[in-house]
Amino acid sequence: MTVDDPAGRTERSAATTATAEKLRVGVGYSDAADAVEAGRAASADALAGLHGATPALIVMYASVSYDLIALLHAVRRATGKAPLVGATTSGQFHDGRLINPGLGVSVLALSAGPYRFGVASVTGVTEDGDAAGQRLARAARAAAGPEPAAHAALLLLTTGLAGHQQELLNGVHKVLGAPVPVVGGSAGDDRLLIRTCVFENDNVLTDGGATGVWIAAPTPLSVVAEHGWHDVGLPLLVTKSDGLEIQEIAGRPAVEVFQEHFHDDVNFERPGLVKPAPGYLSAYAFGLIQPDGSKLIRGAYIDDEGLLKTFSPLPLYAPVQIVSCRAEDLLRVTGDVVRRSLAGRDAAVLLAFSCVARLDVLAEQGAEEAALIQDAAGDVATFGFYTYGEFARTTRVAGYHNATLTAIAL
Amino acid sequence: MTAAVPADSEIEQLRQQLAEAVDAARDAYRDTTRLIQLLDLLGRPAGSAELMGDMLNVLSDAFFADVVCMARVTGDRLIVSGSCGLPEDDPAYTEGWPVGEAARRTLATTEPTALHGDVPGEDAPGSVAGLGIRSAAWIPLSAEPYADTLLVLFRSLDQPFAVADLRMLTSVAARLHMALEERERHAIIEQLAHYGHLLARHLEVEPLLDEAADLLRRLTGADRAWVVTVEGGEGRLRAHRGMPPELTAAWPVSAKSLDDLPACDAGLPETLKVAVARENGATTLLCAGRERRRPFAQGTLEIMTIFANYLGVALTNAELYRALADRATRDPLTGLANRSALVSHLDTLLAADEATRVGVLFCDLDGFKAVNDLLGHEAGDELLMQVADRLRSSVRPDDLLARFGGDEFVIVLDGVKQLSEVAEIGARVCADLDDRLVVSGEQVHVSASIGGVLGIRGQATPSTMLRDADAAMYVAKARGSGQVEVFDEDASHRSRDRLDLRSELLLALTRGQLHLAYQPIFALDTRAIVAFEALLRWTHPHHGTVPPDVFIPLAEETGAIVEIGQWVLAQACRQLAQWHRLPEGRGLGMSVNLSPVQLHQARAAERTLDVIRAAGLHPADIWLEITEHSYLRHEVTEYAGALGAAGVHLVLDDFGTAYSNLSYLKRLPVEILKIDKSFVSGVTGAGGGHLDLSIVRAILAIADSLGLVAIAEGIETEDQRAALRALGCRLGQGYLLSRPLPAAQAGLLLRPQEQLPARVQRGA
Repeated sequence: MTVDDPAGRTERSAATTATAEKLRVGVGYSDAADAVEAGRAASADALAGLHGATPALIVMYASVSYDLIALLHAVRRATGKAPLVGATTSGQFHDGRLINPGLGVSVLALSAGPYRFGVASVTGVTEDGDAAGQRLARAARAAAGPEPAAHAALLLLTTGLAGHQQELLNGVHKVLGAPVPVVGGSAGDDRLLIRTCVFENDNVLTDGGATGVWIAAPTPLSVVAEHGWHDVGLPLLVTKSDGLEIQEIAGRPAVEVFQEHFHDDVNFERPGLVKPAPGYLSAYAFGLIQPDGSKLIRGAYIDDEGLLKTFSPLPLYAPVQIVSCRAEDLLRVTGDVVRRSLAGRDAAVLLAFSCVARLDVLAEQGAEEAALIQDAAGDVATFGFYTYGEFARTTRVAGYHNATLTAIAL
Repeated sequence: MTAAVPADSEIEQLRQQLAEAVDAARDAYRDTTRLIQLLDLLGRPAGSAELMGDMLNVLSDAFFADVVCMARVTGDRLIVSGSCGLPEDDPAYTEGWPVGEAARRTLATTEPTALHGDVPGEDAPGSVAGLGIRSAAWIPLSAEPYADTLLVLFRSLDQPFAVADLRMLTSVAARLHMALEERERHAIIEQLAHYGHLLARHLEVEPLLDEAADLLRRLTGADRAWVVTVEGGEGRLRAHRGMPPELTAAWPVSAKSLDDLPACDAGLPETLKVAVARENGATTLLCAGRERRRPFAQGTLEIMTIFANYLGVALTNAELYRALADRATRDPLTGLANRSALVSHLDTLLAADEATRVGVLFCDLDGFKAVNDLLGHEAGDELLMQVADRLRSSVRPDDLLARFGGDEFVIVLDGVKQLSEVAEIGARVCADLDDRLVVSGEQVHVSASIGGVLGIRGQATPSTMLRDADAAMYVAKARGSGQVEVFDEDASHRSRDRLDLRSELLLALTRGQLHLAYQPIFALDTRAIVAFEALLRWTHPHHGTVPPDVFIPLAEETGAIVEIGQWVLAQACRQLAQWHRLPEGRGLGMSVNLSPVQLHQARAAERTLDVIRAAGLHPADIWLEITEHSYLRHEVTEYAGALGAAGVHLVLDDFGTAYSNLSYLKRLPVEILKIDKSFVSGVTGAGGGHLDLSIVRAILAIADSLGLVAIAEGIETEDQRAALRALGCRLGQGYLLSRPLPAAQAGLLLRPQEQLPARVQRGA
C-alpha cells in the first residue's frame, strides 16, 4: 500500500495476517562478496528455518559495502511478497556470532505466529522529523489491517546520519501514545559516516528515510534498555553549546573538563575493529541525567580541531555526568537485558540493537557481547545489529539512546 | 611525617557522604535544568499548538510521566485538548472521562493534587489504565476559582510527585496558561485582522458571504460553517462550507424554524451561532458546527462575534458600493437607468449575436416646460416621477426604460423584428401616457412625442440610434403633441444630414453663407409694389441652396435664430433705408419674418426697435410677420403690444393653417393677415377649390370686419389673381408677380415702368 502525503513523500506499507500458531524463526547469513549471491544464500537459509511456514516479515541487515539494490532484489526474489524491513549496519550479530563491520548480510524470516505485522516507510525525517514520525506510525499501523490490536509495539529503523531521531520518536509518540513501546536503531555504515540506508519492501531509502514495523500482539510487548556505563565525576551543567559542539561545562572550557575525567588506565589509542574517526574515544561519554536518576548515554569525541562534539545535540543547561566504561561494564548488563526481555514470555526470537560505540569499547572482546546475548537467550533465536543510536521508548517520550543495548522479544 | 591512613569504616563513611552529595547535586541540577527547559520553551516564539505540544513533551520527559495532558471540564467530563502519551485516536479527546475526585478537588481548591499508589480508575482516561500507573498529579492551569482546565500527569514509575515537583508544575502551568492564552489571543487577533482584510476586499455581497463562510470555518476550527440571512420571514442559506447536499437542499426555511430544523443546526452535536449586528439590512447569522462532540475552544463565540462585526462592516461597505454603482447608472429622481446605463445596455444588445434587431423609442414630454413654469420645478419633478411610473407599466419586462435627461425618456426594445413593432409599441406608450395627472394638486394633461428607430446588431451604434430616434421624435413633435414617428433607414439618413446642417448652420452667418432675397408684395389691382418681404437664403458650399423650411427649424432648435434673426432684420432695414433714398422707394414697407424663439429673448421689443431706428427707419416702415403658433404665448402679446404701440405693423403669417383663434386677433395689434398659399392655390381649379374659396372668402370677411388688410401668398396664376381680386383681396405676392430676388434685381423693380400703376398707399 502506498499513501501519498501532501509534501509528495510516500509511505509504503504492507500487511500480513495473524495466525494463532507459534512464531517460527529462520536466520540466514552470507558473507559472499557478490550482492546477489549473498542475498540469495542468506534468504534461502532464513526461509529454510521456517520449515515451510509462510514468511510474514523479513528483516535484513547488511553492510553498506554491497550493491544494496542488487542485494535487496536478490532477497526479495527469494522471500516473495513477505513485507521486508532492514538497515545497513556497522556490524551484525545472531546465534551468538558477531559479523564484523564491513561485510555480510543477515536475514531474519518470521512466520506470523500470534502477531500481525504492518510495514511502512517515510522520507523527510531531516526536514520535519516529527511529521515524518506521525506519518510513519499511521501508515505502519494501517498496513497491519483494520482489526484493533490488544497490544502493539513499533520497530523503528532510521537512517543513522539523518539525525532528528528524537523528533521522529516524538511524532510516533503523538500518534501511538504511551501504550505502544518503540524499539529499534539507526542504520550504520561500517563506521564510514558517509551514507546509511534503510530498506522497506523493494525500496532502499537513504539518509532522511525511516521505516517501521507495527507489531500487533495479543499480549503486552516490552522493550528493555541498559548501558552499563558509570559516572567518573560529579554532576555538571552544560553551560554553553552550539549544535553538536559542547563549548563550556560548568562555565569552563568543555574540552578541559572532559579530559580531566580521563583515567590513566584508559588506552587512548585503543583501536576499534575498524579505525574510528580521529579523536573518537569510545570509552568516555556524557550521561544525560534523567528525572529518575538514570542516565541516557550521549557519545562524545574531540575532533581534529580540538573541539568537543556529540552525535546528537545536548540541550543547554543539560545536567550531565561524564561517564566511562570498560568492556566488562558493558558485558555485565548484556545478560540482564536479554533476561528481562524474555521474562514471562514464550518468545521465539530476540531482536536486539547494540551501539557501535560498545563494539569500539569491547574491541577485541567484541564477539563476547553476541555470545553473551545468545547464552542468556538460550534456545531463543537472537538477531541484531550494531547501530548509530538505539530506540527504546518505554515510559516517557524520550527514547533515543547512545551506547546502549536495547531489545524486544517476540 | 606520614599521613594517617583512615580506617575502612571512615572511608566507607566518606564514600557514603560523597554519594549523598552527588545525589543531591544531581537532583539540584535536574531541577534547575527542568525549570530552565520549561522557561526556555515558554520564551520561544512558537504558535500555541506548537508550544503546547513541546511543553507536554518536555513535561513528560522532565517529570518522567507516561502521559501528560491538558484537559478541560465540559459538563461533567474532562475532555483532552492536548497530550503527550495518549494515542491520537484516544476517546479522551472526544468523549473524555468523568471528572473524578482528584480533578474535582483540584478545580475547587485551585491547589495541585497528587496521588501515589493506586490511582482510582475513575480519575484517569481508559487508555491510561493499562499502563500500570502508580503516581498521578492534577495541576490547576489557572489560580482563578472555577477555572476549568487542568494539567494532568500519570506515571508508571512508582515514585510520588514531590511537593517541589508540584510547586514547579503549578508555576509552569500558570505560565503555560498565560502563554497559551496570549499566543492564542495574538494568533486570533492576527487571524481576525487578516480575515477582516480579506472580507473588506469584496464589493459584491455574494462573494463576500462565500468567503465569510470559508474564513469562519477556518477561524473556529469547525467542520461546517454556514451563513444565513433572514428576510421577509424566510431564512436563506447564503453560503456554506462542509454542508452535505441533502441539507442545503432543505433551504430556504421559515424564519420561525431557524432554531429547530435539522437543516439549521445541521444535526451537529456542537453548534455556535452569532448574528451580524447591523443597523439596516437583512439579519445575517453566522453558524459553525462540529460533527464530533468536541467542544469549540474557549472564546470561540467571542471570536465569532468580532468576525461578525467585521462582516457587518464589509456588508455595509458592499451595500454602499452597490448604492454608488447604482448612482452611477440610475437616475436619482426616477430610479430609472440613466444615460450611461442606457448606452452601455444598448451597446451590449447591439453586440449580441442574434437574428433579431433592437428598437429605440425616444420620448419627449409635450408641454413639460409649461408645467415647470406654471407650477414650479418641484411639480415638474413630481410629474417626471409619475410619468416614469406610467412608462414603467407600459414597457415590456425585458425592455429597458431610461431617463435620458430633462423630460426625455428612452425605451430600448430587445428582440424586435421590424420597424412596425417599434411603431406599435411607441403608439401604445403614447396612448398609455396620454392622460391627466394630478401634480401639486393641479390637473395636468400629459402627452409625449415619440420617435422610434430600429437598429441592426453589429451595425448600429447607441449614438446613431439615439440621434436618429431623437430626430424622429422632433418630426413627431412637429406634427403636434402625442404623436409617434418612426424612422426607417432613409429617414434616419435624412435626419443625419439635417443634424449635419444644424451644426454647420451655426457657422453659416460668420462664413457669409446667408443672404436675403426680397419678394415684392403688390397691390393686386394696380400691380404697384407696396412692400418687400425679406426672405432668408442659405447657400451651402456643398449642398447648394438649403430650403428655409429645412434650416429655419434647425436655427430655431439650436437657438442660432436669435442672432440670425437680428442680422436679417438689420440687413432688411438697411436695404429698405437704401431704397427709401430712391424716389420710387419712398413709403415702401419691408416685411420681416420673426421666429417665436426671438420673442423669448429679454428686451426683444426694445432690441427690435433699436435695429429699426439704427437703420434710420420709422417703425411704421417695418412689417413683422409672426406665425399663428407663436402668438399663443404671453411674451408675444407683450412684444406685439410694445411694437404695435411704436408703429410697427404686425403681420399674422399663414393665417388659417392652425388655430385661427379669433380672440387672439382681437387681443393682438395685428394689422395684416397673410392668407396661406395652400388656400390660394385652391381658389381656382377642381376638387377642393370650392372649399378653399369659401375659406379665403371667410378670411377676407374676418379681416374686413376687424379692419385688417389681407395679403394672398403664393399667387402663381393669373386666374388666382383674378379670383382673389374678385373676392376683394387687395394685396398679394407670388411667382406670378415676382419671385424673391436679390436686392439689386429687386431694386430694379422699383423703377417706374409704364405698364405698372402707381403704388398703393401703405395700409390701404
